[in-house]
Amino acid sequence: MKKLLRLPVNRYVDYGLFLVLALFPLSGSLFYTQLIEKYLVFLIFAYSLDILWGYAGLMNLGHAVLFGLGGYVMALSLSARGGIPDFMANGGVTQMPGWLQVLSNPAAAVLAGILLPALLAGLLGRFLFYSRVGGVFFAVITLALAQVFNLFIQSQQTYTGGFNGIGGLPGLSLFGNELTLTQGYYFVFCVVVLAYVFCRCLMGSRFGLVLRGIRENETRLEFLGCDQARFKTAVFAVSGALAGLAGVLYAPVNGMIAPNDVGMEFSTAVIVWLAIGGRGNLTGAAVGAMLVNVLGNALSENFGVFWQLLLGAVIVAVVFFVPDGIVGALIRAARGRKAGKAVESRG
Amino acid sequence: MPFNEVNSMDSFLALLLNGLNSSALILLAALGMVIICGLMNVINLAHGELIMVGAYTAFSVTQVAGLSFAVAVPAAFVVSAAVGAAMELLVIRKLTGRPAETMLATFGISVVLQQVTNLIFGAQSQYVAIPIEGNLSAGRVVIPYYNIFTILFAAAVSAGTVLLLKKTRFGKRVRAITQNRTMAECLGINSARIDTLTFAFGCGLAGMAGALAAPVKSVSPFMGGPYLVSSFMTSVVGGIASFFGTAVGSLLVGESTALLGGVSNDVFASILVFLLIIAVIRFKPEGLFAKERR
Repeated sequence: MKKLLRLPVNRYVDYGLFLVLALFPLSGSLFYTQLIEKYLVFLIFAYSLDILWGYAGLMNLGHAVLFGLGGYVMALSLSARGGIPDFMANGGVTQMPGWLQVLSNPAAAVLAGILLPALLAGLLGRFLFYSRVGGVFFAVITLALAQVFNLFIQSQQTYTGGFNGIGGLPGLSLFGNELTLTQGYYFVFCVVVLAYVFCRCLMGSRFGLVLRGIRENETRLEFLGCDQARFKTAVFAVSGALAGLAGVLYAPVNGMIAPNDVGMEFSTAVIVWLAIGGRGNLTGAAVGAMLVNVLGNALSENFGVFWQLLLGAVIVAVVFFVPDGIVGALIRAARGRKAGKAVESRG
Repeated sequence: MPFNEVNSMDSFLALLLNGLNSSALILLAALGMVIICGLMNVINLAHGELIMVGAYTAFSVTQVAGLSFAVAVPAAFVVSAAVGAAMELLVIRKLTGRPAETMLATFGISVVLQQVTNLIFGAQSQYVAIPIEGNLSAGRVVIPYYNIFTILFAAAVSAGTVLLLKKTRFGKRVRAITQNRTMAECLGINSARIDTLTFAFGCGLAGMAGALAAPVKSVSPFMGGPYLVSSFMTSVVGGIASFFGTAVGSLLVGESTALLGGVSNDVFASILVFLLIIAVIRFKPEGLFAKERR
């Protein structure tokens, strides 16, 4: 009990959020269950950016590339289940390419959807971090990557469905059995919790400690004999794998994937979630993702343009008034109260 | 472009001239970036949106108000510079020395600028009439007069900017602040005012780039992103604080995109250029023409 009381305030928020999400399907609304299921996938995506940006201080402005790579691999696999997909047949492909035959095996697709983004991130990291490219250039280059990747996806009409993306995908299935909506929801929920536990263990370990050290003072850590480039590359790869996993789930959960989900637009969206929620504690990523998406869904129907405008203004306001996000401010407030109590009891 | 049908030498020349034209546009867009990012050390993620503001100013002046394009270019400079000055005074000044926060705030501003433009003009693409009609034809190579104008204009503006920074009192003060802010302040230079002016000047250059690009590219609220990326890339390749490097960088990016685009397609070309730039950064992280730093 005492241990529970001593938890930092953001952990209560985590557990509370998970509790609400676990009970949500009981509300009985199929529409909203499906919607929240999609947002659950976004939570994994937000966690994947938080370990990179929040803990290691590497702002990735093209994070959706990693998400999209996983998503497109899965979408291709799902659409190839019944033979050559329509968009390929329209492009003049008459025989299933070898790589697609491999991908049509779901296990292979999941594996590829996680490993390919990790590989891309690892390669990029190997190139960038070892040349001592500063944090700012990392952001710029990832931004360019997002643009190039989006162009690439749109241009490969035959293999990616081009501008329209890949649609009409079947829902989640496990070992060949298609899951119902509620089953699918709980399956995704379990993956989210696993991802959360994984991130917390990783960031609580020595590895996470080094990352925070790099964020705070890179030079000092170098003096301590730590190869910062190796750690940065490693966390980028792990973050890529996690983002890929989110993409792999997104394709069947959303039923389609389009170039919008992989380019600058979605990359900036995840930046906004973390900016508003807070970084470096996993809670902020989850709170930000849920808050922005739920509010966005409620408001964008009626106030489309104004909602985006408001979001832009809110980011500027957040930078000025709550630079460490909603959850960061919450943690600070709680610490302040605890410190106040301690002073009182001493006096 | 059919590469084998016509005389390949002629089409090569045409590609080269096309590349020169896009280099000129990239150079104009990147000049402002060099001043803001290279001299002031501010990462402005709203740079593309300032280009967009310039393009919309040109659109309003020529298509809505019906005035000449000669009015549109200075108007674009003034409007973008005003937006830039407001940004500097209200936001960027207060975030000095916090690059991550500056990036986030300017990103927020870019979203605001996009959406405000979207509210005023709508999301559809607008077109600006080409102000100088006609082509210059030499043999089988045809160059629109407007392209020649763009190239000359970009060269003149770059030369003017370099002169402004090297030869005037204002330029001397800007360089003094870049080298040693505290010392410059001790010598009585009002660094806050110079900062605002420098930032506004960089933004004005971006606006002019937008006005020049408007007649040949489509104008829309979300046009800024690619410009932001290409001007960043250009200044990174050339060496972030070097004008000469930026000029070479823009030639490199513009020409290689055009030439590679001629032999294959545009997407393949931009992927290759991206890889090329990563390779440059890997082996010359300070850029090709980095200034010696003491």
